[in-house]
Amino acid sequence: MDNNTAIKTENLTKVYKNFWGRKKILALDKLNIDIQKGEIFGLLGPNGSGKTTTIKLLLGLIFPTEGRAYVLGKSTRDVATKSRIGFLPEESCFYRFLNADETLDFYGQLFSIPRKERKLRINRLVDQVRLEFARKRPLRQYSKGMLRRIGIAQALINDPDLIILDEPTSGLDPIGTRETKDIILALKKQGKTVLLCSHLLSDVQDICDKIVILDKGKLQIAGTIDELLSRKDVVEVLIRNLSDEAINEVKAFIKEKQGEVVSIKNPTNTLEDLFLQIVQERNSSSQNRNKIDCEFDQTGPEAMSKNNKTDQLN
Amino acid sequence: MQQILVIAKQTLRESFRNKIFLIFVILSLIAICCSVFMPVVGDGSERIKIVESMCLRSITFFGILAAILLSASSIPTDIEDKLLWTITTKPVSRTNLIFGKITGFIYIIGLLLLIMGSASYALIRFTASKQDVQKGKGLMAREKFEPSNMQVTGKATKNIGDVYWIEGGERGTSTWDFEGLTYKKRTEEFEIEVKLLVESKKRYTTKIPINIKIINPYTGESQTKSIKVSNNKPASLKLSTETLEGSEKLTLVISPKNPGDFIGMSSDSLNVFLGEKSFEYNFLKGLAVIASQFILMIVIATLGSTFLTLPVNILFCLFIFFCGNITDFMRDLSTVINTFEMHDHEHEISAVVNKPNIIVFFLDYMLKKPLLALSYILPNFKNFNVGHYFVDSVNIPHKKVFASFGYAFLYALFCLPLSFVVFKRREFA
Repeated sequence: MDNNTAIKTENLTKVYKNFWGRKKILALDKLNIDIQKGEIFGLLGPNGSGKTTTIKLLLGLIFPTEGRAYVLGKSTRDVATKSRIGFLPEESCFYRFLNADETLDFYGQLFSIPRKERKLRINRLVDQVRLEFARKRPLRQYSKGMLRRIGIAQALINDPDLIILDEPTSGLDPIGTRETKDIILALKKQGKTVLLCSHLLSDVQDICDKIVILDKGKLQIAGTIDELLSRKDVVEVLIRNLSDEAINEVKAFIKEKQGEVVSIKNPTNTLEDLFLQIVQERNSSSQNRNKIDCEFDQTGPEAMSKNNKTDQLN
Repeated sequence: MQQILVIAKQTLRESFRNKIFLIFVILSLIAICCSVFMPVVGDGSERIKIVESMCLRSITFFGILAAILLSASSIPTDIEDKLLWTITTKPVSRTNLIFGKITGFIYIIGLLLLIMGSASYALIRFTASKQDVQKGKGLMAREKFEPSNMQVTGKATKNIGDVYWIEGGERGTSTWDFEGLTYKKRTEEFEIEVKLLVESKKRYTTKIPINIKIINPYTGESQTKSIKVSNNKPASLKLSTETLEGSEKLTLVISPKNPGDFIGMSSDSLNVFLGEKSFEYNFLKGLAVIASQFILMIVIATLGSTFLTLPVNILFCLFIFFCGNITDFMRDLSTVINTFEMHDHEHEISAVVNKPNIIVFFLDYMLKKPLLALSYILPNFKNFNVGHYFVDSVNIPHKKVFASFGYAFLYALFCLPLSFVVFKRREFA
């Protein structure tokens, strides 16, 4: 295994057995994957395809029936390696009686991060996942989206080299989704490796370098996004401000070159873009309103009425 | 080490925030306070004994219940809530996780014990101050000396198990040696307490007279006293410490006075009480013995929680605690099964039993042997019983405290590695 490999599995197999030790489910069948350092790697597949089983095996939560797995060059049972891993589970499982600060402090202590450093990191992460307004509220009062945010924060408390995220955007609103994607991309820029497991294919497509698709525990396909999704026989040209006449000329030219025009249409924005645009506009207008309110407060109602009176007199 | 403390702190915080600790504190305090309302027959010292006994029982009951419920539920709940997914994926070994949990439970139970112990002590002191008791009958911890040697001479009529029977009228005597009798004040009294089995050929006799010859081995001086004893009831004789002048040893010779009277005794039938120790210190020692019992229960419950589900584990712990309190009975029961088998074999159906018999087979392999094995495997919780020391106003010997901790430690030494091995192999699917 070379130094650039973050995760490697060799014929990784997991069979869940029943109480009597009889074979019940083949959850993962001879999986071979190789994730390089600095990659964002997507693990895709329908429900029950073996994605979460793979993650659990990589984290040492369960043990392989056959095969081997290495994380950051070490066995999955190696405890010390876990100090370089950040993990966000599919379900947000935290002590519900703790608040955000206490939760992050607890996980920070498990990494033996010094108190001062811990405090700094907690402040930064709470700010990053936008939970400043609820940092003293017990987690039992959090919405699902807020729990995902605190989950992401705890996964990053140790400044990990490898981050394993199981459905990081589930339960998040489009803004949260976008912010999470931005966080993941920022992590990649810092040279971190991210293993992402998600049902939301558009999210994976947006940020992943490589993906594998699993089905019924078997690897179906693996490769880079470009390799897997690009259609070599089709060319897409985006042109702004082209008249109908010019379009017809382009069509004729393509025909002359023995090409086939499949469709000509005006491209649409994604729903996510539209949503974010509306929310941003609303936010900026409310900020303006706040600005006016502030001005009103500064001048005071009496001053405002005075001004109005002066206006009337004028 | 830091991780163990972090997990311990978290476990403690969990019990506080979930109000489990508070519930146990309230319930135990109610139970302790209720002891003053118990009906009592006898003088003020009886009331003190009742309060002492009730307080200790309440402490044991609520402590054990808290130890079982907290330790048996913590890990299964964490597994069910998937909390361990986020903890075991951090650089925390599973061994440290178990150590941390156990440390946390010990903190909780220790704190509960401190609260219950303080409340009990205050209540006992309060009760003692309100009672009009004779001097020396209030709060005390008499120092007990057990015989170093016991000999039965003359006509020992019966010898069943560890009980020796002798007949009166100089046909049998028992000699008891005591050593290490030290005392501070010359004016102090010492007490000889006998608790014997009594039988008599005379009908309707419930009390028989016995002679006690007190010999000072150093001076060679002796005196004989006579007291009446009832079957299996303690009777005492008080003497001045001047009797012990110059010697730390004492020899007592006991025999029934009249022919036709029999006394049965074992090695603990005769004791000497000399001097008093501080009640407070004795109470602390009692709490220490009880605490060692809690630690043992925590370790057992934690072991169960590594492989059992929450309800099964609670049942498992209750079973262990219940059976651990009746190990002697289990051993006796297995002996009874054995007697029954022998009896059948020798007299009633000997011809049949010579051949393999399903009933004997069943009794032997399905009942007697498992019972006997269980009685040796299970922890003997009777070793931690200190109630009788307080009821008898007897000082708890240091060796009892050390033995209790030693027993709990040895048992934990067996349970803990087992917990680690099982938990390391456990999958969090």
